[in-house]
Amino acid sequence: MLDVRNLTVSYESTPVLKNLSIYIGRGEIIALTGPSGSGKTTLLRCIAGLEATDSGSIWMHGEEITKRPAHLRRIGLVFQDNQLFPHLNVAENIAYSLKLQRVAKNERNHKVAEALELVGLAHLAKREIVRLSGGEAKRVAVARALVAQPEVLLLDEPLAGLDGELHHRLLDDLGSLLRSRATTTLHVTHDHAEASAIADRVLDIRELASLGDV
Amino acid sequence: MILAYRRAAPWLAVVPVIGMMLFVVAPALNIFKMSLRFESLKILTTQTTRNVVWFTSWQAILSTILVLFVALPIAAITSNFKFVGRRALISLVSVPFILPAVVVGAAFLEILPGSLHRSSLAIIAAHVYFNVGLAVRIISTRWEQIHPYLDDAANTLGASTIRTFLTVTLPLLRTAIISASLLVFIMCFTSYGVVRILGGPARSTIETEIYFRAMQLGDVSGALIMSVLQILVIGALILLVTSTRRSKNRHSKNSQKFGQSVYSRLRNPRSIAQKIFVITIASVSAVAVVAPLVSVATRSILLREKLDTTAWRSVLSDSTIFSSLMTSLRYALITVIISTTIGLLGACAVVYGGSRYKFVSVLTALPVVISAVTLGLGIIITFDVSPIDWRGAWLMMPLAHCLVAIPIVMRVISPVLRDLPSGLRDASRTLGASAWQMWRTIDLRIIRRALVTSAALASAVSLGEFGASSFLVRHNNETLPLTIARLLSRPGDLIQAQAYAIATVLIVACAGIIAVVDRLGTREPGF
Repeated sequence: MLDVRNLTVSYESTPVLKNLSIYIGRGEIIALTGPSGSGKTTLLRCIAGLEATDSGSIWMHGEEITKRPAHLRRIGLVFQDNQLFPHLNVAENIAYSLKLQRVAKNERNHKVAEALELVGLAHLAKREIVRLSGGEAKRVAVARALVAQPEVLLLDEPLAGLDGELHHRLLDDLGSLLRSRATTTLHVTHDHAEASAIADRVLDIRELASLGDV
Repeated sequence: MILAYRRAAPWLAVVPVIGMMLFVVAPALNIFKMSLRFESLKILTTQTTRNVVWFTSWQAILSTILVLFVALPIAAITSNFKFVGRRALISLVSVPFILPAVVVGAAFLEILPGSLHRSSLAIIAAHVYFNVGLAVRIISTRWEQIHPYLDDAANTLGASTIRTFLTVTLPLLRTAIISASLLVFIMCFTSYGVVRILGGPARSTIETEIYFRAMQLGDVSGALIMSVLQILVIGALILLVTSTRRSKNRHSKNSQKFGQSVYSRLRNPRSIAQKIFVITIASVSAVAVVAPLVSVATRSILLREKLDTTAWRSVLSDSTIFSSLMTSLRYALITVIISTTIGLLGACAVVYGGSRYKFVSVLTALPVVISAVTLGLGIIITFDVSPIDWRGAWLMMPLAHCLVAIPIVMRVISPVLRDLPSGLRDASRTLGASAWQMWRTIDLRIIRRALVTSAALASAVSLGEFGASSFLVRHNNETLPLTIARLLSRPGDLIQAQAYAIATVLIVACAGIIAVVDRLGTREPGF
């Protein structure tokens, strides 16, 4: 499904990832752990097509996508701080990718309503992004990524900064949502408990690559 | 806000409020009153007036559209890409905005073929040149604050670079684009120096018509009515834009803050297309800014198409021109002292006093609505009766320069003062500082760079002011822009070259001022 082979990335000649390889099977949920600064986010951004790589390759369904622009990869990314569009409301944020795909208005509305239902926010469709709580914003970010029907979903520390009970509840919801939709997922976190709660496999980024001095 | 600061707010507001009431509000009210007294309202229905209003409006609209068209790509590269000379490019495109309007007019007279002199095209080209820097600064300031990951989010959701720009970046830039458009429109609508130099009698704007009627036809009543018309149009436009922005985008402030980033958007251009885009925009804009300035300097050393420094030697030895230079420098110094002081007092009153003192901000912004020419006319017709017959007083001209500079000073100092973390003051208080010591050691230290920036900009305003000065000039207090305009209106190769030599001096002074402002702006505020 998603195959990353010998990926090397550096910023201004400082190596961030060196010869990293990882394989994720269809419908598999993999949690990737590792300390801060170990290159977890960089790996996600490379897979999403947001960062250039020095060497190595990325394959999806047996096809190389290393040089493919981000918008053509069909890989969704939930950012650590959500990155919801502040000029759009909740429903408009979720509908964003559907509009780009020119999905008809009725079908679009139906899919948005379905996604809102799925993340339990049907009552907040028209709410401005700035008026959402941390947990609500996180749910919208997940719904926005899922509604685009990505081949692979990348989660960058999606529950960081949320407090105890909310963190626990969202983790449960996220796990069952991803399982029910059989979404191929790479979930980055530095929290081992969170990693093992929803993942099929838990990997440490330091074991995937020879990182040199990083 | 600290209680002692809040208590000081009324006292801080006294001088700015009295100053503005006396020299802006009173003359403006007097213009309204006198225009109603005259029985010449029928001037509004004449064909000449209709032509003037029509030309003023369409050239301002077209100039504004073209300014945005040119400014957006420049703002795009300076806000998104790292490249050699990025800061220099930002400074360079800002230079024309603080150049005296007559110098820009002179530059376009020189660079454009004779067939385009006295044409609408020349005026519009000069307006675009003059205002692009202003639009770039406003738009790129906001663009740099947009979180780069919002673009990435749009990309991962399937949006190409162009779609990302249209669906994410452009809506988030909307407020900045509207602000830039409004300011540029006002600048072009009330343009005076450029139109007087490049327009000639056939291309008159409301602003030049006011001068023409008052000073050349002696038709003060007609000039007053034109002034009222201009104030009403600008005032109505500001109200319309403000209210539309409020109702259509009531959460714009929140959404802007929400989308703001501490991450830099600046990245190295990666693809070939990006590299070509950056190189093309940067080089074309640099050449477009520099070419008219070089043509001014070149013209000053050319006589009968041969290299000749006579103009420079005669400028340096001419006592009248030397006197103009000294007058300009003296007035610039007075403007710096008075406008910086009043602007500082006003900014402190507005920030320390809270919402009750917002009126001080509105009062000090009035000279933007009431143009420099109208201010000059207002002062002449208001202070003409003993014991305040100040029309001939030399101080009136630098005072008018101050009125034009104060809104700029206020807008440079206020944001820095407002953004000062209140915890710093609290810390100072708990360490035993009195209110005065706290202000001196915290507030003043943090705003000192803003003070130098505003002083530099105030000096540029004074050195280039032409509109109000045209009304207030007396035989012994001609400033450099007035001297340039006088020399340009006379025939003779040497006389023209002299005008260009003086213009070159002003260009160097303005470039120096921008360098100071940008050097201070690149440093982090604080201690």
